[in-house]
Amino acid sequence: MQVKEFKIKWGMVIDIDKCSGCGACMVSCQVENNIAPMTQEDPHNHLQMMTTKRDDPSNKLRTLTWLNVYELNNGKAFPEHDVAYLPRPCMQCGHPACVPVCPVVATDKNEEGGIVSQIYPRCIGCRYCMAACPYHARYFNWWDPLWPDGMDKTLSPNASVRPRGVVEKCNFCHTRYMKAKDRAREEGIDPMELPEGYYVPACVEACPTGAIVFGDLNNPEHKVAQLAKSPHSFRLLEKLGLDPQVYYMSKREWVREQGDNHAAGDHNSAVKQASQGHE
Amino acid sequence: MGLNRRAFIQFSVGGTLGLLVTPVIWKTLDDVSIWTQNWGWIPTLKKGVEERVPAVSKLCPSGCALRVETVGGEPYSTTGDEDNPLSKGGLCPICADAVPLLYSPTRVQGPMVRTGEGQYQPVSWDEAKKLLAEKLGAAGSSVAVISGDDTGSGNEVFSALLAELGSDDYYMMPSPQMAATRAWNGLMGGEGQIGYDIAGSDFVLFAGADALSSWGPTVSNMNAFAESHPAGEKAKSTYVYAGPARNHTSSVCDSWVPVHPEGMSAFLLGLAYNLITEGRYLESGDFAALRSLLASKYSPAQVEKLTGVSKKSLAELAGKLLRASAPVVVADYGCSPAVAAAGIIVNLLLGRMNTWGGMVALPEVEPVLGSALDRPTRFAKDLPADVASGAFAPKVCLIYDANPVYGLPQYGEKIAEKAEFTVAFSTFKDETAAVADLVLPAAHPFERYDDLVNPFGVANTTYVASSPVVKPSLDVMGAPQFALDLAAEMGLDLGFENFEEVLEAKAEAAEAAVGTVGSYSVGLGLPALSDADKTSGQLALYAYSQLHIGSASMATTPHNPTTIRDTELQGKQMFVRINSETAKANGLKAGSKVRLSANGVECQALVHVDEGVMPGVVAAPLGFGHTAWDEFSMGKGGNVYKLLTVSAGSGGSAWTGSAVTIAKM
Repeated sequence: MQVKEFKIKWGMVIDIDKCSGCGACMVSCQVENNIAPMTQEDPHNHLQMMTTKRDDPSNKLRTLTWLNVYELNNGKAFPEHDVAYLPRPCMQCGHPACVPVCPVVATDKNEEGGIVSQIYPRCIGCRYCMAACPYHARYFNWWDPLWPDGMDKTLSPNASVRPRGVVEKCNFCHTRYMKAKDRAREEGIDPMELPEGYYVPACVEACPTGAIVFGDLNNPEHKVAQLAKSPHSFRLLEKLGLDPQVYYMSKREWVREQGDNHAAGDHNSAVKQASQGHE
Repeated sequence: MGLNRRAFIQFSVGGTLGLLVTPVIWKTLDDVSIWTQNWGWIPTLKKGVEERVPAVSKLCPSGCALRVETVGGEPYSTTGDEDNPLSKGGLCPICADAVPLLYSPTRVQGPMVRTGEGQYQPVSWDEAKKLLAEKLGAAGSSVAVISGDDTGSGNEVFSALLAELGSDDYYMMPSPQMAATRAWNGLMGGEGQIGYDIAGSDFVLFAGADALSSWGPTVSNMNAFAESHPAGEKAKSTYVYAGPARNHTSSVCDSWVPVHPEGMSAFLLGLAYNLITEGRYLESGDFAALRSLLASKYSPAQVEKLTGVSKKSLAELAGKLLRASAPVVVADYGCSPAVAAAGIIVNLLLGRMNTWGGMVALPEVEPVLGSALDRPTRFAKDLPADVASGAFAPKVCLIYDANPVYGLPQYGEKIAEKAEFTVAFSTFKDETAAVADLVLPAAHPFERYDDLVNPFGVANTTYVASSPVVKPSLDVMGAPQFALDLAAEMGLDLGFENFEEVLEAKAEAAEAAVGTVGSYSVGLGLPALSDADKTSGQLALYAYSQLHIGSASMATTPHNPTTIRDTELQGKQMFVRINSETAKANGLKAGSKVRLSANGVECQALVHVDEGVMPGVVAAPLGFGHTAWDEFSMGKGGNVYKLLTVSAGSGGSAWTGSAVTIAKM
C-alpha cells in the first residue's frame, strides 16, 4: 500500500523526560470518549449469580485504554536504576498495519489530517486489526459498556458509546477536530490552516507537565514539526516502516534505544523486564 | 378418518417442508439472538449548548482550579483552566474524574441518623439541624471539630461556631501544611505561611516532598517544572529528588539522591553542616547551638550512616546548591515538623528567604469571622496525641471534609468511641460516614460555594472562589452553609448568614494580604532536630501517595482503576516494592505473598522487585484498602496508613517511625 500524503498531518511529540506518569491524560481520555468505568456487576443482568463476572481492571488484556501509560526502566541495579513513563495513544501510522487487514473497511486512513478512522457500526469484531497493530493500540469491547447506576448522566457528547463486539481506538479526539473546523469557519479562519492550539485532544489539554505537544507535522510553524526533527526524537518500532504520526523524545539514550527495538532477541533483558505486565 | 402409514408419511414430509419454507422459525431464532443480546439500557448523548464553566474541585488534597465542560447545562467533563495560575491548563487525575463522581452511587443521598450497628434512617435537613442543635446545647463547650479541608474558608465557619460554643478544640488532619506550620510558626516562631517559588528557582531540591505527584499544589508545581524544562531545549533549571525510592517525581527530576526513610532530617542537617563549613551563617540566637548540634550529631560521616548518602554526594549537592543562583529546598517527609524545620534552615543558610525563586513567608489572610481561629492556631492541636492521652473526649465531634477513620486509622477508629456523638459531613459513603451517628451529605464541589485560600506551597497570595456549576441532584448542601444555619438555629451570631458572603469578605481579605512578611527573626527549633538521629536499624517503610490511587480522604475514582498498573494492584492484592537485595535477604522473590506488620497491625501484599527502591526499604502505596466506598476501591489492597507509626516529637506528632517487618506467607 502506498503511503497516502495529506496536506495536514496531525501528530504528537511526547517528551518522555517530562511525563511523570500521573495518569491524568488516561482519565481525561476515558471521560472525553465515553469509555465506561470497569464495573464488575451488571445491574441489568438478572442472572448475575449464574453468569461470569465482568473483568477486573487489573486484567490489562481487557481494559480499554486508548491512551496507555507504560512504565519503562533501564534494567540497572540500585542506585543506577532509572524509570520513565511512555504514554501510548494510537500512532495514526502513515502506513498503518491495521487498515489493509480489515475485511469490512471499518478502519481507514482517508481523511485530511491523517487520522486513522474507526467506524464502529461497520466493525464486525474480527480483531484482525488488533493482531496487525504492533503498538497494541487497539482494544476490543469484551463487554457492553456500563456506568454505575446514574453515572451515565455524565456521558460526553463527543463520542458515541460502542457496544460489545467492536474494536475501538484513539482517534485524536476526532470530534474536537470537527468542532475546531466548525469554529474556524464561524470565525473566518481557513479550516485547512488551523492555528496551533486551536484543536487539541483531551489528553494533551489535561497533561499538567505539558509532556504532549500536538499539532500539524506538515506545518513548519507548529512546534511539533520542529520537535519531530530534534536529535532526541524517535518513533516507536521505527524499523517496521509504519511511519507513525506520534513522535517521542528523550535525552536519555536508554529510552530511545528501547523505543526502537522490535524483534525478540535483539534487545537487552531490560526491555523484557520493562514490558512485563504492561501488555 | 384413520391415520394410515401413507398419510403419516405425507404429513411428516409436508410438515418438514412447510417448516423449512416458513420464515416464522428463522425469524424467531433471529429475534431471540437479537433480544438476548440487547443492552439493558440504551445510552443516549445529550445535545445542547456547550460551555466551559470555571470552578474549583477540592477532591484532591490541594484543590484544582479547572473548568467544567457542560452540554445543555449538564456537566460531562473537566479540563484545566488556562487562565488560572494554579492550573495553567493542567489538572490532576482525581479532578479529571470529578464529573462522573457527581452521579456516583456511592454519594450520600441525604441526611441520615444512625439507629443501630450499620443501620441508618433518613431524616430531613430541618430534623438534622434540630437534633444537632439539641445535642450541641446539651454538650456545652464539650465540642470538637476535625477538619480535612486544608485550604478553605469553611474552616473559619466551623472554627467560629466552635468558639461561640466555648471550645477551641479545632483539629486539622495531618498534612504537609501542618508540618511546615508547626515548624515555622510554632518551633521557630516565624510569621506567615511558608511557600516555595519553584517556578522562579534554577535549582530545586525536593527533599522527600513528592511535589510533582502528590505534595502541595501539585498541578502548579508540575507547571513550574514544565516551563523550566521546555521540550527540545536545554533545561532552565535543575530538579533533584531526594527520597527512599524512585517515584513519579523522581522519574522526571534531573537526578535522584536515595535517602533512607528515617534519615530525611539528618540529610538536610548534613547539607546545613556543609553549608556552614563553606562559611554560611544565620543571624539567630540559636546559631551557635545549631553549629554545635551539627558538629556533635550530624557530621558528614554520621549523616552517611543515618541516610545512606555518602559524604562525597552530600558535599557535591551542597556545592551545587551554593553555586546555583536561585536554589530552593522543598522539604517534607511523614508530616514531620523536624524535617520541615531542617528544610527551612537550609533555605535560610542559602539566603533564600523571601527572595525570587526561594522560600517565601506569605502574609496570613486574616479571618473574616471575628471569633475564628487564625491559620497557624488551627494547626496547633495534635489529634493523635490528644486521642492517645485521652484529652480528646468531646460530647459532640463534627468531622468536616475529612475521613479520619481511613486516613488516620489508629486514632480515627477511636474517635467515634471517644466522642459521644459524631457528625460526619461527607460527600461520599466513606469509612467515617459508616461509623458516624449523624451523616450530613456535603455537596459535591461543583454543587457548592467553596474557595481555595493560599493552597499550601504557593509562592504568591492566591485566592480562588467558585460558585455552583449545577443544582444538586441529591438532598445535599455545603457543610459551611449548614454550620451557619445551625448557628442561627441556636441563636449564635457568627456575623454571617450566608457562606457566599463569607467568600466575598475573604476575597477582600486576600487582596489585602499580598507580598511577603517583611521581618523574620526566628529561632531554629533545635529541640525537634536534636532527636532526628534515631534509626530503628530494621527494615524501613516508605509509604508513598499517588493521586490516581486516591488520597487520605478520597478513594480511587471510577476511571482511575485502569491507570493503576498490574504491578501495583492485581485483583484484590496490592504490591509492595522492594530491592532485589532486600528480597534475597528476606527469602522473597517477585510475586511472593507477604505480610507487612508494624504497630501490631498487618497488611497483606505481593512483592514487586524494583531496583528503584533503596535496599532495606519497603515501598508501599497509600490509598488502597478501603472498607467503604464502591467496587473501584473497596476491599482492594491493604490500608498502609495503618502501618504508619506516629511518633511524638517536640514539634508534634509525625509519621517518622518506620520500622516494619516483612514475612512470607
